[in-house]
Amino acid sequence: MSDEKTIVCRCEEISFQTISDTVREYSCSSREVKLRTRAGMGYCGGRTCRHMIDTIVAGINQEPIADEIQLSYRPPARPLTFGVLGGMQHDNESR
Amino acid sequence: MIDLLVVGAGPAGLSAAIAAAEQGLKVKVLDEFPKVGGRLLGQLHQEPSGEWWNGIEMGEKLHQKARLEGVNIQCEVSVSDISRTDFGWSVYTSVGMIKAKNLLLATGASETAIPLPGWTLPGAISIGAAQVMGNVHRVKPGNSCVIIGANVLSIAIANELMLCGVKVKEIIIPETGPVAKDAGVPEKVMASLMRLTHLAPNAFLRQAGKFGKFVSPKVAAQFFPKNGIRVLGIPIRVKKAAIEIIGEGQATGVRTVAVTPDGKRIQGTEQVTEADFVCIAGGLAPMSELASIAGCSFKYVEELGGHIPLHSERMETAVPGLYVAGNITGVESAKVAMAQGKVAGLTVAFNTNGASKKTEMLVKCALDDVRKTRANALIEFQPGIVEARERIYVQFEQERIAVKQAITVS
Repeated sequence: MSDEKTIVCRCEEISFQTISDTVREYSCSSREVKLRTRAGMGYCGGRTCRHMIDTIVAGINQEPIADEIQLSYRPPARPLTFGVLGGMQHDNESR
Repeated sequence: MIDLLVVGAGPAGLSAAIAAAEQGLKVKVLDEFPKVGGRLLGQLHQEPSGEWWNGIEMGEKLHQKARLEGVNIQCEVSVSDISRTDFGWSVYTSVGMIKAKNLLLATGASETAIPLPGWTLPGAISIGAAQVMGNVHRVKPGNSCVIIGANVLSIAIANELMLCGVKVKEIIIPETGPVAKDAGVPEKVMASLMRLTHLAPNAFLRQAGKFGKFVSPKVAAQFFPKNGIRVLGIPIRVKKAAIEIIGEGQATGVRTVAVTPDGKRIQGTEQVTEADFVCIAGGLAPMSELASIAGCSFKYVEELGGHIPLHSERMETAVPGLYVAGNITGVESAKVAMAQGKVAGLTVAFNTNGASKKTEMLVKCALDDVRKTRANALIEFQPGIVEARERIYVQFEQERIAVKQAITVS
Protein backbone atom coordinates (compact mmCIF):
# COMPACT_ATOMS: atom_id res chain seq x y z
CA MET A 1 0.00 0.00 0.00
CA SER A 2 1.41 3.33 -1.05
CA ASP A 3 0.84 5.17 2.21
CA GLU A 4 1.20 8.72 0.92
CA LYS A 5 -1.35 8.26 -1.85
CA THR A 6 -3.87 6.29 0.19
CA ILE A 7 -6.65 8.48 1.54
CA VAL A 8 -8.38 7.22 4.68
CA CYS A 9 -10.71 10.12 5.54
CA ARG A 10 -12.12 11.31 2.24
CA CYS A 11 -13.97 14.34 3.64
CA GLU A 12 -10.89 15.87 5.23
CA GLU A 13 -8.43 14.23 2.81
CA ILE A 14 -6.27 12.64 5.49
CA SER A 15 -3.86 10.00 4.21
CA PHE A 16 -2.87 6.71 5.76
CA GLN A 17 0.65 8.17 6.10
CA THR A 18 -0.56 11.12 8.19
CA ILE A 19 -2.56 8.86 10.47
CA SER A 20 0.18 6.31 11.04
CA ASP A 21 2.82 9.05 11.54
CA THR A 22 0.57 10.68 14.14
CA VAL A 23 -0.04 7.43 16.02
CA ARG A 24 3.67 6.65 16.08
CA GLU A 25 4.78 10.15 17.09
CA TYR A 26 2.28 10.58 19.92
CA SER A 27 1.51 6.90 20.61
CA CYS A 28 -2.11 7.88 20.76
CA SER A 29 -5.69 6.64 20.58
CA SER A 30 -8.17 6.90 17.70
CA ARG A 31 -9.74 9.84 19.44
CA GLU A 32 -6.45 11.69 19.72
CA VAL A 33 -5.69 10.96 16.06
CA LYS A 34 -9.04 12.46 15.19
CA LEU A 35 -8.38 15.59 17.23
CA ARG A 36 -4.85 16.02 15.85
CA THR A 37 -5.57 15.35 12.18
CA ARG A 38 -9.32 15.97 11.73
CA ALA A 39 -9.66 12.44 10.32
CA GLY A 40 -13.29 11.44 10.87
CA MET A 41 -14.43 15.01 11.53
CA GLY A 42 -15.65 15.83 8.05
CA TYR A 43 -19.02 16.27 6.44
CA CYS A 44 -20.02 12.60 6.70
CA GLY A 45 -19.28 12.49 10.43
CA GLY A 46 -16.84 9.61 10.08
CA ARG A 47 -19.39 7.24 8.65
CA THR A 48 -16.93 5.95 6.06
CA CYS A 49 -13.57 6.02 7.83
CA ARG A 50 -14.38 5.46 11.51
CA HIS A 51 -13.87 1.72 11.26
CA MET A 52 -10.65 2.13 9.26
CA ILE A 53 -9.18 4.61 11.73
CA ASP A 54 -9.93 2.29 14.66
CA THR A 55 -8.40 -0.66 12.85
CA ILE A 56 -5.27 1.22 11.81
CA VAL A 57 -4.69 2.68 15.27
CA ALA A 58 -5.28 -0.63 17.05
CA GLY A 59 -2.89 -2.32 14.62
CA ILE A 60 -0.06 0.14 15.12
CA ASN A 61 -0.49 0.15 18.90
CA GLN A 62 -0.74 -3.65 18.80
CA GLU A 63 -3.89 -3.58 20.88
CA PRO A 64 -7.19 -5.34 20.33
CA ILE A 65 -10.08 -3.13 19.22
CA ALA A 66 -11.77 -1.91 22.40
CA ASP A 67 -15.35 -2.71 23.40
CA GLU A 68 -16.11 0.95 24.02
CA ILE A 69 -16.65 2.98 20.88
CA GLN A 70 -13.53 5.11 20.53
CA LEU A 71 -14.76 7.68 18.05
CA SER A 72 -18.00 8.62 19.72
CA TYR A 73 -21.24 9.17 17.87
CA ARG A 74 -22.98 12.46 18.48
CA PRO A 75 -26.22 13.77 17.12
CA PRO A 76 -27.13 14.66 14.47
CA ALA A 77 -26.41 11.16 13.16
CA ARG A 78 -27.37 12.31 9.67
CA PRO A 79 -26.82 15.58 7.80
CA LEU A 80 -29.78 17.89 8.43
CA THR A 81 -31.08 20.94 6.64
CA PHE A 82 -31.07 24.25 8.49
CA GLY A 83 -34.84 24.21 8.09
CA VAL A 84 -35.17 21.02 10.13
CA LEU A 85 -32.63 22.24 12.67
CA GLY A 86 -34.48 25.53 12.93
CA GLY A 87 -37.75 23.75 13.66
CA MET A 88 -39.56 24.34 10.41
CA GLN A 89 -41.43 21.11 11.13
CA HIS A 90 -43.94 21.00 13.95
CA ASP A 91 -42.16 19.00 16.56
CA ASN A 92 -45.27 17.76 18.32
CA GLU A 93 -46.69 15.81 15.44
CA SER A 94 -46.75 12.05 15.57
CA ARG A 95 -47.46 11.05 12.04
CA MET B 1 -49.06 7.75 21.08
CA ILE B 2 -47.22 5.15 19.06
CA ASP B 3 -46.46 1.98 21.04
CA LEU B 4 -43.50 0.99 18.92
CA LEU B 5 -41.39 3.03 16.52
CA VAL B 6 -39.13 0.94 14.29
CA VAL B 7 -36.12 2.49 12.61
CA GLY B 8 -35.40 0.54 9.44
CA ALA B 9 -37.87 -1.11 7.05
CA GLY B 10 -35.66 -4.08 6.22
CA PRO B 11 -36.30 -7.76 6.96
CA ALA B 12 -35.86 -7.32 10.72
CA GLY B 13 -37.79 -4.05 11.09
CA LEU B 14 -40.77 -5.17 9.00
CA SER B 15 -41.00 -8.57 10.72
CA ALA B 16 -40.91 -6.89 14.12
CA ALA B 17 -43.57 -4.39 13.09
CA ILE B 18 -45.84 -7.18 11.86
CA ALA B 19 -45.38 -9.26 15.02
CA ALA B 20 -46.06 -6.30 17.31
CA ALA B 21 -49.07 -5.09 15.31
CA GLU B 22 -50.55 -8.60 15.37
CA GLN B 23 -50.50 -8.31 19.15
CA GLY B 24 -52.50 -5.10 18.95
CA LEU B 25 -49.72 -2.53 19.23
CA LYS B 26 -49.75 0.75 17.35
CA VAL B 27 -46.64 0.57 15.20
CA LYS B 28 -44.80 2.98 12.92
CA VAL B 29 -41.77 2.22 10.74
CA LEU B 30 -39.28 4.72 9.34
CA ASP B 31 -36.72 4.19 6.60
CA GLU B 32 -34.21 6.44 4.86
CA PHE B 33 -34.56 4.76 1.52
CA PRO B 34 -37.38 5.61 -0.94
CA LYS B 35 -38.41 1.93 -1.02
CA VAL B 36 -39.37 -0.53 1.68
CA GLY B 37 -37.30 -3.70 2.07
CA GLY B 38 -33.81 -2.64 3.13
CA ARG B 39 -31.13 -5.04 2.01
CA LEU B 40 -33.77 -7.47 0.78
CA LEU B 41 -34.09 -5.18 -2.22
CA GLY B 42 -30.71 -6.22 -3.54
CA GLN B 43 -30.84 -9.96 -2.97
CA LEU B 44 -31.22 -12.47 -5.76
CA HIS B 45 -29.50 -15.82 -5.52
CA GLN B 46 -30.07 -19.49 -6.12
CA GLU B 47 -30.27 -21.84 -3.16
CA PRO B 48 -28.87 -25.39 -3.10
CA SER B 49 -32.43 -26.68 -3.58
CA GLY B 50 -32.39 -24.88 -6.93
CA GLU B 51 -34.96 -22.35 -5.74
CA TRP B 52 -34.25 -18.67 -6.15
CA TRP B 53 -34.22 -16.32 -3.20
CA ASN B 54 -35.82 -13.17 -4.52
CA GLY B 55 -35.37 -10.44 -1.93
CA ILE B 56 -37.53 -7.90 -3.75
CA GLU B 57 -40.51 -10.26 -3.68
CA MET B 58 -39.92 -11.09 -0.03
CA GLY B 59 -39.68 -7.37 0.82
CA GLU B 60 -42.95 -6.73 -1.00
CA LYS B 61 -44.64 -9.60 0.85
CA LEU B 62 -43.56 -8.19 4.21
CA HIS B 63 -44.62 -4.72 3.14
CA GLN B 64 -48.13 -5.90 2.22
CA LYS B 65 -48.46 -7.92 5.41
CA ALA B 66 -47.41 -4.95 7.52
CA ARG B 67 -49.91 -2.67 5.80
CA LEU B 68 -52.63 -5.25 6.32
CA GLU B 69 -51.84 -5.24 10.04
CA GLY B 70 -52.20 -1.47 10.08
CA VAL B 71 -48.52 -0.60 10.41
CA ASN B 72 -47.73 2.96 9.35
CA ILE B 73 -44.64 3.02 7.13
CA GLN B 74 -42.83 6.18 6.13
CA CYS B 75 -39.91 6.15 3.71
CA GLU B 76 -37.30 8.81 2.96
CA VAL B 77 -37.13 9.79 6.62
CA SER B 78 -33.79 9.93 8.44
CA VAL B 79 -33.40 9.76 12.20
CA SER B 80 -30.80 12.20 13.43
CA ASP B 81 -31.21 11.99 17.19
CA ILE B 82 -33.08 10.13 19.91
CA SER B 83 -33.59 10.90 23.54
CA ARG B 84 -35.27 9.16 26.43
CA THR B 85 -38.15 10.90 28.12
CA ASP B 86 -40.59 10.06 30.91
CA PHE B 87 -43.04 8.53 28.42
CA GLY B 88 -40.52 6.63 26.30
CA TRP B 89 -38.67 8.18 23.38
CA SER B 90 -38.47 11.40 21.44
CA VAL B 91 -37.12 10.61 18.01
CA TYR B 92 -35.85 13.50 15.92
CA THR B 93 -36.19 12.98 12.20
CA SER B 94 -35.87 14.86 8.95
CA VAL B 95 -39.66 15.42 9.12
CA GLY B 96 -39.88 16.48 12.73
CA MET B 97 -40.05 14.86 16.15
CA ILE B 98 -41.95 11.65 16.76
CA LYS B 99 -42.92 10.33 20.20
CA ALA B 100 -43.10 6.64 20.96
CA LYS B 101 -43.31 4.40 24.00
CA ASN B 102 -40.81 1.89 22.66
CA LEU B 103 -38.06 2.09 20.09
CA LEU B 104 -36.63 -0.68 17.96
CA LEU B 105 -33.39 -0.08 16.10
CA ALA B 106 -33.26 -2.27 13.03
CA THR B 107 -30.75 -0.16 11.17
CA GLY B 108 -28.80 -3.06 9.69
CA ALA B 109 -25.17 -2.97 8.69
CA SER B 110 -23.05 -0.71 6.54
CA GLU B 111 -20.20 -1.65 4.27
CA THR B 112 -16.63 -1.21 5.31
CA ALA B 113 -14.14 0.04 2.77
CA ILE B 114 -10.59 -1.09 2.17
CA PRO B 115 -8.48 1.94 1.37
CA LEU B 116 -5.97 1.74 -1.47
CA PRO B 117 -4.58 4.43 -3.77
CA GLY B 118 -7.31 5.61 -6.10
CA TRP B 119 -10.27 4.25 -4.10
CA THR B 120 -11.76 7.72 -3.89
CA LEU B 121 -12.00 8.10 -7.69
CA PRO B 122 -15.48 8.27 -9.21
CA GLY B 123 -16.24 4.82 -10.59
CA ALA B 124 -14.72 3.08 -7.58
CA ILE B 125 -17.78 1.95 -5.64
CA SER B 126 -18.64 -0.49 -2.90
CA ILE B 127 -19.93 -3.90 -3.93
CA GLY B 128 -23.24 -3.11 -2.22
CA ALA B 129 -23.61 0.05 -4.29
CA ALA B 130 -23.21 -2.00 -7.46
CA GLN B 131 -25.84 -4.41 -6.17
CA VAL B 132 -28.30 -1.62 -5.43
CA MET B 133 -27.72 0.03 -8.83
CA GLY B 134 -28.27 -3.23 -10.68
CA ASN B 135 -30.97 -4.97 -8.70
CA VAL B 136 -32.92 -2.05 -7.25
CA HIS B 137 -32.57 0.81 -9.70
CA ARG B 138 -32.02 -1.40 -12.76
CA VAL B 139 -29.06 0.68 -13.82
CA LYS B 140 -25.89 -0.99 -15.07
CA PRO B 141 -22.98 0.69 -13.30
CA GLY B 142 -20.90 -0.01 -16.42
CA ASN B 143 -20.21 -2.71 -18.94
CA SER B 144 -17.20 -4.23 -17.22
CA CYS B 145 -15.85 -4.34 -13.69
CA VAL B 146 -13.16 -5.70 -11.40
CA ILE B 147 -14.09 -6.74 -7.86
CA ILE B 148 -11.54 -6.29 -5.09
CA GLY B 149 -12.25 -8.69 -2.22
CA ALA B 150 -13.00 -12.41 -2.56
CA ASN B 151 -15.65 -13.29 -0.02
CA VAL B 152 -19.14 -14.73 0.22
CA LEU B 153 -20.79 -11.37 -0.44
CA SER B 154 -18.65 -10.38 -3.41
CA ILE B 155 -19.04 -13.76 -5.13
CA ALA B 156 -22.82 -13.71 -4.71
CA ILE B 157 -23.03 -10.15 -6.06
CA ALA B 158 -20.63 -10.91 -8.94
CA ASN B 159 -23.16 -13.48 -10.05
CA GLU B 160 -25.96 -10.91 -9.81
CA LEU B 161 -23.94 -8.39 -11.81
CA MET B 162 -23.48 -11.01 -14.52
CA LEU B 163 -27.26 -11.44 -14.59
CA CYS B 164 -27.47 -7.67 -15.12
CA GLY B 165 -25.24 -8.02 -18.16
CA VAL B 166 -22.05 -6.70 -16.58
CA LYS B 167 -18.81 -8.41 -17.55
CA VAL B 168 -17.05 -9.18 -14.29
CA LYS B 169 -13.46 -9.35 -15.51
CA GLU B 170 -12.05 -10.83 -12.33
CA ILE B 171 -12.44 -11.09 -8.58
CA ILE B 172 -9.12 -10.38 -6.93
CA ILE B 173 -8.03 -9.68 -3.37
CA PRO B 174 -6.89 -6.44 -1.74
CA GLU B 175 -3.22 -6.23 -0.86
CA THR B 176 -2.81 -7.21 2.77
CA GLY B 177 -2.18 -4.30 5.12
CA PRO B 178 -3.35 -2.69 8.35
CA VAL B 179 -6.99 -2.60 7.19
CA ALA B 180 -7.28 -5.45 4.67
CA LYS B 181 -5.40 -7.89 6.94
CA ASP B 182 -6.41 -11.52 6.22
CA ALA B 183 -8.62 -10.48 3.29
CA GLY B 184 -5.32 -9.95 1.44
CA VAL B 185 -3.67 -13.25 2.43
CA PRO B 186 -4.46 -15.97 -0.15
CA GLU B 187 -4.33 -18.91 2.27
CA LYS B 188 -6.70 -17.14 4.67
CA VAL B 189 -9.03 -16.21 1.82
CA MET B 190 -9.02 -19.85 0.68
CA ALA B 191 -9.85 -20.98 4.20
CA SER B 192 -12.87 -18.72 4.36
CA LEU B 193 -14.08 -19.62 0.84
CA MET B 194 -13.68 -23.33 1.54
CA ARG B 195 -15.92 -23.07 4.58
CA LEU B 196 -18.75 -22.30 2.20
CA THR B 197 -18.64 -25.63 0.38
CA HIS B 198 -21.52 -27.27 2.19
CA LEU B 199 -23.77 -24.25 2.31
CA ALA B 200 -22.95 -22.56 -0.96
CA PRO B 201 -25.93 -20.46 -2.04
CA ASN B 202 -25.65 -21.34 -5.71
CA ALA B 203 -23.87 -23.42 -8.28
CA PHE B 204 -21.30 -20.69 -8.53
CA LEU B 205 -20.15 -21.00 -4.95
CA ARG B 206 -20.51 -24.77 -4.94
CA GLN B 207 -17.88 -25.05 -7.65
CA ALA B 208 -15.55 -22.66 -5.93
CA GLY B 209 -15.85 -24.74 -2.80
CA LYS B 210 -15.25 -28.02 -4.57
CA PHE B 211 -11.72 -27.05 -5.35
CA GLY B 212 -10.61 -27.18 -1.76
CA LYS B 213 -12.77 -29.95 -0.43
CA PHE B 214 -10.06 -32.47 0.33
CA VAL B 215 -7.03 -30.29 0.99
CA SER B 216 -6.01 -27.76 3.60
CA PRO B 217 -6.43 -24.04 2.79
CA LYS B 218 -2.68 -23.64 2.87
CA VAL B 219 -2.15 -26.32 0.24
CA ALA B 220 -5.11 -25.07 -1.73
CA ALA B 221 -3.62 -21.58 -1.83
CA GLN B 222 -0.24 -22.99 -2.86
CA PHE B 223 -1.64 -24.84 -5.83
CA PHE B 224 -4.37 -22.38 -6.66
CA PRO B 225 -3.99 -21.81 -10.41
CA LYS B 226 -2.37 -18.52 -11.31
CA ASN B 227 -5.22 -17.66 -13.65
CA GLY B 228 -7.77 -18.43 -10.99
CA ILE B 229 -10.70 -20.75 -11.15
CA ARG B 230 -13.25 -19.67 -13.67
CA VAL B 231 -16.84 -20.23 -12.65
CA LEU B 232 -19.73 -19.08 -14.82
CA GLY B 233 -17.18 -17.06 -16.74
CA ILE B 234 -15.87 -15.13 -13.74
CA PRO B 235 -12.26 -15.81 -12.76
CA ILE B 236 -11.64 -15.77 -9.02
CA ARG B 237 -7.97 -15.00 -8.51
CA VAL B 238 -7.01 -15.27 -4.87
CA LYS B 239 -3.31 -14.86 -5.56
CA LYS B 240 -3.68 -11.56 -7.39
CA ALA B 241 -3.83 -8.39 -5.31
CA ALA B 242 -5.00 -4.89 -6.16
CA ILE B 243 -2.38 -2.24 -5.46
CA GLU B 244 -4.01 0.79 -7.05
CA ILE B 245 -7.21 1.88 -8.74
CA ILE B 246 -6.08 3.88 -11.75
CA GLY B 247 -7.67 6.58 -13.89
CA GLU B 248 -7.63 10.32 -14.57
CA GLY B 249 -10.65 11.83 -12.86
CA GLN B 250 -12.44 8.49 -13.10
CA ALA B 251 -11.55 4.86 -12.45
CA THR B 252 -10.50 3.06 -15.62
CA GLY B 253 -8.88 -0.04 -14.16
CA VAL B 254 -6.86 -1.69 -11.44
CA ARG B 255 -3.11 -2.15 -11.10
CA THR B 256 -2.45 -5.61 -9.75
CA VAL B 257 0.41 -7.77 -8.58
CA ALA B 258 0.77 -11.51 -8.02
CA VAL B 259 1.25 -12.47 -4.38
CA THR B 260 2.58 -15.51 -2.53
CA PRO B 261 0.18 -17.69 -0.45
CA ASP B 262 1.05 -15.57 2.59
CA GLY B 263 0.37 -12.35 0.74
CA LYS B 264 3.81 -11.01 -0.24
CA ARG B 265 4.25 -9.22 -3.56
CA ILE B 266 6.05 -11.14 -6.31
CA GLN B 267 8.37 -8.72 -8.13
CA GLY B 268 7.86 -8.15 -11.84
CA THR B 269 4.28 -9.36 -11.95
CA GLU B 270 2.50 -6.02 -12.18
CA GLN B 271 -0.42 -5.84 -14.56
CA VAL B 272 -3.32 -3.55 -15.36
CA THR B 273 -6.88 -4.80 -15.78
CA GLU B 274 -9.08 -2.24 -17.44
CA ALA B 275 -12.70 -1.85 -16.35
CA ASP B 276 -15.54 0.68 -16.46
CA PHE B 277 -15.95 0.51 -12.71
CA VAL B 278 -14.26 -1.08 -9.74
CA CYS B 279 -16.04 -2.61 -6.75
CA ILE B 280 -14.52 -2.84 -3.29
CA ALA B 281 -15.93 -5.64 -1.15
CA GLY B 282 -14.64 -4.97 2.35
CA GLY B 283 -17.43 -6.66 4.30
CA LEU B 284 -20.19 -5.42 6.56
CA ALA B 285 -20.28 -3.86 10.01
CA PRO B 286 -23.35 -3.31 12.25
CA MET B 287 -24.65 0.26 12.16
CA SER B 288 -24.45 1.27 15.79
CA GLU B 289 -24.71 5.05 15.76
CA LEU B 290 -28.26 5.40 17.15
CA ALA B 291 -27.70 2.67 19.75
CA SER B 292 -24.61 4.55 20.86
CA ILE B 293 -26.48 7.86 21.10
CA ALA B 294 -29.20 6.08 23.12
CA GLY B 295 -26.61 5.03 25.69
CA CYS B 296 -26.17 1.31 24.98
CA SER B 297 -22.96 -0.33 26.05
CA PHE B 298 -21.05 -2.20 23.39
CA LYS B 299 -18.89 -5.24 22.81
CA TYR B 300 -16.48 -5.56 19.94
CA VAL B 301 -17.17 -8.98 18.43
CA GLU B 302 -15.19 -9.86 15.33
CA GLU B 303 -17.46 -12.81 14.44
CA LEU B 304 -20.50 -10.53 14.37
CA GLY B 305 -18.83 -7.85 12.27
CA GLY B 306 -17.85 -5.18 14.79
CA HIS B 307 -19.33 -3.22 17.69
CA ILE B 308 -22.54 -4.80 18.95
CA PRO B 309 -24.96 -3.10 21.37
CA LEU B 310 -25.32 -5.46 24.33
CA HIS B 311 -28.68 -7.18 24.11
CA SER B 312 -30.57 -10.20 25.36
CA GLU B 313 -31.64 -13.13 23.22
CA ARG B 314 -35.10 -11.52 23.34
CA MET B 315 -33.61 -8.46 21.63
CA GLU B 316 -33.86 -6.10 24.63
CA THR B 317 -31.01 -3.70 25.33
CA ALA B 318 -30.14 -2.59 28.84
CA VAL B 319 -31.79 0.75 28.10
CA PRO B 320 -35.48 0.58 29.10
CA GLY B 321 -37.83 0.57 26.10
CA LEU B 322 -35.00 0.15 23.59
CA TYR B 323 -34.79 -2.95 21.39
CA VAL B 324 -32.54 -4.11 18.56
CA ALA B 325 -32.95 -6.67 15.78
CA GLY B 326 -31.29 -7.70 12.55
CA ASN B 327 -27.78 -6.91 11.45
CA ILE B 328 -27.27 -4.21 14.09
CA THR B 329 -26.91 -7.21 16.44
CA GLY B 330 -24.42 -8.97 14.14
CA VAL B 331 -24.04 -9.58 10.44
CA GLU B 332 -26.13 -12.55 9.33
CA SER B 333 -28.55 -13.45 6.55
CA ALA B 334 -31.89 -11.76 5.88
CA LYS B 335 -33.69 -14.90 7.04
CA VAL B 336 -32.08 -14.67 10.48
CA ALA B 337 -32.91 -10.96 10.56
CA MET B 338 -36.58 -11.74 9.88
CA ALA B 339 -36.68 -14.34 12.64
CA GLN B 340 -35.00 -11.93 15.06
CA GLY B 341 -37.45 -9.20 14.11
CA LYS B 342 -40.35 -11.43 15.09
CA VAL B 343 -38.74 -12.07 18.49
CA ALA B 344 -38.26 -8.34 19.02
CA GLY B 345 -41.83 -7.46 18.03
CA LEU B 346 -43.28 -10.11 20.31
CA THR B 347 -41.02 -9.12 23.19
CA VAL B 348 -42.18 -5.51 22.92
CA ALA B 349 -45.80 -6.76 22.97
CA PHE B 350 -45.04 -8.98 25.95
CA ASN B 351 -43.48 -6.10 27.90
CA THR B 352 -46.18 -3.60 26.87
CA ASN B 353 -49.39 -5.62 27.14
CA GLY B 354 -48.35 -7.33 30.32
CA ALA B 355 -46.97 -10.84 30.54
CA SER B 356 -49.33 -13.50 29.28
CA LYS B 357 -48.79 -17.21 28.85
CA LYS B 358 -49.84 -16.99 25.22
CA THR B 359 -47.33 -14.29 24.30
CA GLU B 360 -44.63 -16.03 26.30
CA MET B 361 -45.23 -19.15 24.23
CA LEU B 362 -45.10 -17.14 21.01
CA VAL B 363 -41.79 -15.60 22.08
CA LYS B 364 -40.38 -19.02 22.85
CA CYS B 365 -41.44 -20.36 19.44
CA ALA B 366 -39.91 -17.30 17.76
CA LEU B 367 -36.64 -17.80 19.67
CA ASP B 368 -36.59 -21.39 18.55
CA ASP B 369 -37.12 -20.28 14.99
CA VAL B 370 -34.10 -17.93 15.19
CA ARG B 371 -31.89 -20.82 16.33
CA LYS B 372 -33.18 -23.10 13.59
CA THR B 373 -32.82 -20.46 10.90
CA ARG B 374 -29.29 -19.72 12.05
CA ALA B 375 -28.37 -23.41 11.97
CA ASN B 376 -29.68 -23.70 8.41
CA ALA B 377 -28.09 -20.44 7.25
CA LEU B 378 -26.87 -20.57 3.70
CA ILE B 379 -24.63 -17.58 3.99
CA GLU B 380 -22.57 -17.63 7.15
CA PHE B 381 -20.53 -14.48 7.13
CA GLN B 382 -18.13 -15.53 9.87
CA PRO B 383 -17.45 -18.77 11.71
CA GLY B 384 -18.37 -18.95 15.38
CA ILE B 385 -21.54 -16.84 15.20
CA VAL B 386 -23.52 -19.07 17.58
CA GLU B 387 -20.80 -19.02 20.25
CA ALA B 388 -20.27 -15.27 19.87
CA ARG B 389 -23.98 -14.66 20.36
CA GLU B 390 -24.07 -16.83 23.48
CA ARG B 391 -21.24 -14.72 24.91
CA ILE B 392 -23.19 -11.52 24.20
CA TYR B 393 -26.30 -12.83 25.96
CA VAL B 394 -24.28 -13.79 29.05
CA GLN B 395 -22.51 -10.42 29.14
CA PHE B 396 -25.86 -8.69 28.76
CA GLU B 397 -27.26 -10.35 31.87
CA GLN B 398 -24.14 -9.34 33.77
CA GLU B 399 -24.34 -5.73 32.72
CA ARG B 400 -28.11 -5.30 32.69
CA ILE B 401 -28.29 -4.02 36.25
CA ALA B 402 -25.21 -1.81 36.07
CA VAL B 403 -26.37 -0.02 32.93
CA LYS B 404 -29.90 0.44 34.25
CA GLN B 405 -28.48 2.41 37.15
CA ALA B 406 -26.43 4.63 34.89
CA ILE B 407 -29.35 5.72 32.73
CA THR B 408 -30.65 9.13 33.59
CA VAL B 409 -34.01 10.16 32.31
CA SER B 410 -33.77 13.47 30.57
